[in-house]
Amino acid sequence: MLEPRTMSRLLIAGTKAEMGGVIAELYRRRLFHIEDFIGQEEYAGFRLGMPLAGATEASNELLKIRAATNAFGIHADGAPAPRRLSVTELRRSLQTELPEVDAQADELVTRRTRLETRQKDLESRIAELEPFASVPIPMDLYRGYDSLAVFAGHIPADVAITAPHEKQYSGGKKGGFLVVFTPIPDRDAVERQLLDAGFAAARIPDETGMPADVIARYQAEQASAEKELEGIGRQLAGLSELHASFLLAADELLSAEVEQAEAPLRFAVTDQTFVAEGWIPTADLADIRASLERITGGKIHVEELPVDFDHDAVPVEYNNPRFAHPSELLVDLMSRPRYGELDPTLLVSIVFPLFFGIILGDVGYGLVLLALSFGLRRYLMGEAGNQLLDTLRNSSVAAIIFGLIYSEFFGVELPWKPLIFSRHLGIGAAAEAGAHGPDAAAMLIVSIWIGILHITLGRVLSIVNHARMDHGSHRTKAILAQTGWLAFMWGILIVIWSMYAIPLMLDLSKLGDVVAPIGLRPAGIIGIVMILYGMVAIGQENTLDLFELPTVISHVLSYARLLAVGLSSVAIALVTNYIALDLIVRPQLAALSPVGVVLVIVGILVLLIGHVVNLALGLLGSGLNSLRLHYVEFFTKFYKGGGRKYNPFGMKRLYTSEE
Amino acid sequence: MVDVSSAVLTAEMIQASQAGLKAVGAGLAVGLAGIGTGLGEMGIGAAAMGATAENRDMFGLALLFTVIPETIVIFGLVVALLLLFS
Repeated sequence: MLEPRTMSRLLIAGTKAEMGGVIAELYRRRLFHIEDFIGQEEYAGFRLGMPLAGATEASNELLKIRAATNAFGIHADGAPAPRRLSVTELRRSLQTELPEVDAQADELVTRRTRLETRQKDLESRIAELEPFASVPIPMDLYRGYDSLAVFAGHIPADVAITAPHEKQYSGGKKGGFLVVFTPIPDRDAVERQLLDAGFAAARIPDETGMPADVIARYQAEQASAEKELEGIGRQLAGLSELHASFLLAADELLSAEVEQAEAPLRFAVTDQTFVAEGWIPTADLADIRASLERITGGKIHVEELPVDFDHDAVPVEYNNPRFAHPSELLVDLMSRPRYGELDPTLLVSIVFPLFFGIILGDVGYGLVLLALSFGLRRYLMGEAGNQLLDTLRNSSVAAIIFGLIYSEFFGVELPWKPLIFSRHLGIGAAAEAGAHGPDAAAMLIVSIWIGILHITLGRVLSIVNHARMDHGSHRTKAILAQTGWLAFMWGILIVIWSMYAIPLMLDLSKLGDVVAPIGLRPAGIIGIVMILYGMVAIGQENTLDLFELPTVISHVLSYARLLAVGLSSVAIALVTNYIALDLIVRPQLAALSPVGVVLVIVGILVLLIGHVVNLALGLLGSGLNSLRLHYVEFFTKFYKGGGRKYNPFGMKRLYTSEE
Repeated sequence: MVDVSSAVLTAEMIQASQAGLKAVGAGLAVGLAGIGTGLGEMGIGAAAMGATAENRDMFGLALLFTVIPETIVIFGLVVALLLLFS
């Protein structure tokens, strides 16, 4: 908890005869994060390993599978198969089924490509012929003359030609199409006149017969090709359904085989031996050691290497209780913690939904989002999707709880008064009844309190982080600077408290008398001392950090969004209800008329659209603002991140099983 | 014509104009702060999109940078709410 899993650096050495077995076992256990061999100094005399036997064959088969998968348009959705295929069964069908499936896919794709090419060809031919359709001359008559020149092309308007000629003009909206036949001697003169009139020559298609007939023939061919393509599409879809589970399983099996066969490329080998280095969670160390020894009959050397935490990039794996697991997505989105750094996931998993709930705080919206978090599971598969939806689920539960506290249901007041603060704005009937507005000021102060505590927690975590990860004088300086930031923030607060009495906050303004030369009460003087200490402590680590001092205030005030974003969402809900129900629906219901029924329906539509938009805004606003408070205001205090992801050698099997 | 110099301001009129000016102030606070935030996020957002397009891992950091100016509009919103309701 609060820190990543402890890792051990492991060295595995053995004879090459054992390599295959060791790789298979490591792959099956999916715990060993391989450290690639890159010709380190201490490995003089070693070289990179060669792939195991069978790698090429497996790669070739995998290529075929992927080709068929592409042809059939099969997409892995990341969800485990309802029935997993056993490996032995799968190997047998790879021998018998794969060549056939591959041939089918190949044939269909070739046909489809041919038809699509033909379609494109026909399309361009039709486009070329179309202008000629307006000229009643067979296409054969456009060529094969010894004494005649032919011009065909587009022209803005009909033109009078002085040289001897015969012409056909057909006008259209965007200029006309002109065909001119002229004796060869007059060709130049005609051409000049045509060009002057803005003539643009068109290619004369190499066809025979009347253009309209040719077009009709091509269109018929196009239609039949279209039909054939549809048939191929249906066939592919049918085959896709038939073979999807087989292909996905085969892909998984062969990918696993290829990965295992290519693992030696990451090992250091000599003629007879191999050495693999990597990382493993310390908790699993003894277990892996035992199983490797069992597999090889003790003919293996497994050694735990000393770890140099400052130079080795230790891969980082989260170590969180189950309920905090979804928040790992939010932390990863920022950056994975470094090894040895505090892992904020647990705090995020508690505070994120809390902030979300404080902002959204509506039973109705919370219920809709809760339903969404379950309903979307069919479409958002895979680990990240599940994590996202789990986060949404937790957040909407928080929103429902705060909705009960605020007494809000789609902006309408529930049958009880708000338990702590009212966020109901006096709009419409409520305003006429003289309802008093929301407790904005009180909620603002509570928001600020949350900010002060959250930021203080961040600074305390930073002290812990520096104490654990830094060394020597740098460590002392960094810790001092953090206490400086804390003293600065609380010093400002104490000075303010000593001057003004603020509700819900400490009142130090009555304590003692104003000390004349300074103009501050005793508490204020303590505050000033804290501020000065803070500045010195921050400055001794890095003078430039003093420029950041104003962020202390802006970061604390930034938590005001907990109130502000929530209230704006309530305002939209209330206004929607007021417009739809009070202004449109209710007056009509009082005296129902045919037009009134339509208006009632319009009112209900307005109500629906308003609330859907507000829900979308609320989801984005609450989610992003809650996330932002974590990223910008909280994480910046202590979190560096940039750790290397723990990526164990092996695969999570979704479609195949060993038995 | 109304003679402005002799016009009498009743207490109700003063109250009404006070409420009206409060509403105008609240609107200005949110609106102007929104424009400021928009201007700030304009450049950051474009650059963040570019960075994310080149490297998807940048998404978290890009989002962080993009929402930094958002604080300004939140301040505007808070001021507006305080004007209207306290």
